[in-house]
Amino acid sequence: MDSLKEDLKKQIIEQLNLEDLTAADIADDALLFNDQGIGLDSIDALELIVLLEKYHGIQLTNPEEGKEAFKSINTMAEYIRKRKAA
Amino acid sequence: MSKPALYISAASTISHQPTFRNAGFSETLGPVEASSALISPDYKAYIDAGLLRRMSKILRMSVACAKDCVEQAGSGQPDAIVVGTGLGCLQDTEKFLNTSLTVEGLLPPTSFIQSTHNTMAGQISLSLGNHGYNMTHTQNTLSFEHALLDAAMLLREGDRNVLVGAADEHIDILNDIAVQLAFEATAPLTSAASFFILSDEHTGNAAAALADLFTSGATDNAQEEIDAFLDRNGLQPGDIDLALYAGKPVSGVARNIDYLPLAGVYPTASAFAMHYAVDVLSENSKVRNVLICNTLRKSNLGLILLQAVEA
Repeated sequence: MDSLKEDLKKQIIEQLNLEDLTAADIADDALLFNDQGIGLDSIDALELIVLLEKYHGIQLTNPEEGKEAFKSINTMAEYIRKRKAA
Repeated sequence: MSKPALYISAASTISHQPTFRNAGFSETLGPVEASSALISPDYKAYIDAGLLRRMSKILRMSVACAKDCVEQAGSGQPDAIVVGTGLGCLQDTEKFLNTSLTVEGLLPPTSFIQSTHNTMAGQISLSLGNHGYNMTHTQNTLSFEHALLDAAMLLREGDRNVLVGAADEHIDILNDIAVQLAFEATAPLTSAASFFILSDEHTGNAAAALADLFTSGATDNAQEEIDAFLDRNGLQPGDIDLALYAGKPVSGVARNIDYLPLAGVYPTASAFAMHYAVDVLSENSKVRNVLICNTLRKSNLGLILLQAVEA
């Protein structure tokens, strides 16, 4: 089990008050901003930017990067690893 | 009486008492206990899950009561939404301020967005899909009366149905600063929301009529103001079957009930009293005139005169 992805799921549930979800309900490849996936919205996108800084010390300033990074748990984990390695 | 009455065609309250969707509650209420908690309905029946997860207590109460009122009245979209609140969205304000003290860098936006006093009226509007007049009044213990005054003026100017209400929420720090709030009360501090549909005509389902209301922010002698208010409405104190008061009882009326032990203490508790009065008028045909006298703060006087609707 990838602990970064599990941590991300727990952090998202807490930060966005996703009261009805557990980490197990969020698939690694589920689309975060799609009603067929988790169904997040634009305010949630702002909360995710705060989450990245709060838990991972990463500042996301380029909106285009955010579009790509916030697609799913997989892409978020990949983005965090890439930024930390740079 | 110089102005025609306005009609209350729906009322809904979420409080520390069993008031929500419970007609006749006024006959069964006892004093609210210090250890009591808010009695919440299943909010998912009224609020979309995606919105609900972000909502604090005051937003949940307000939106659920507002939707319940619109459903009860059956008159479709209200022409306006008017809300009174004394202290606003305290949970979100506290959350935002605490975060700003402890977190360096970016602050989470949701609690900031929802910390403003007009969030309730805005969320109600979004939840109903309402594009009408949207206003929030905050005038300490007279916030509800000012909202009601605004609603009454809108109806005099041609609106047909106005959703009007009030809400305040308790957070723990209020217990520590209760003295500074300067409320004339010893009952426990509580949270509640009460909403009403106020209409310009009686369409058969009105539970009570709003005959008149009055506010003063610099009252020296409340009893004199009350006597003058009743006189303007062609009434004597002896014509009042029931006075619901906060602060001091009203002289000369048939019966006085202090509504603060029933509602608990919060700046807009007079909205609870109005629902209580509507419930009494609906259930007891012998009660014709009810006066709500709000002196929760000594210098602030709010008077609301409700009357039974003629069959």
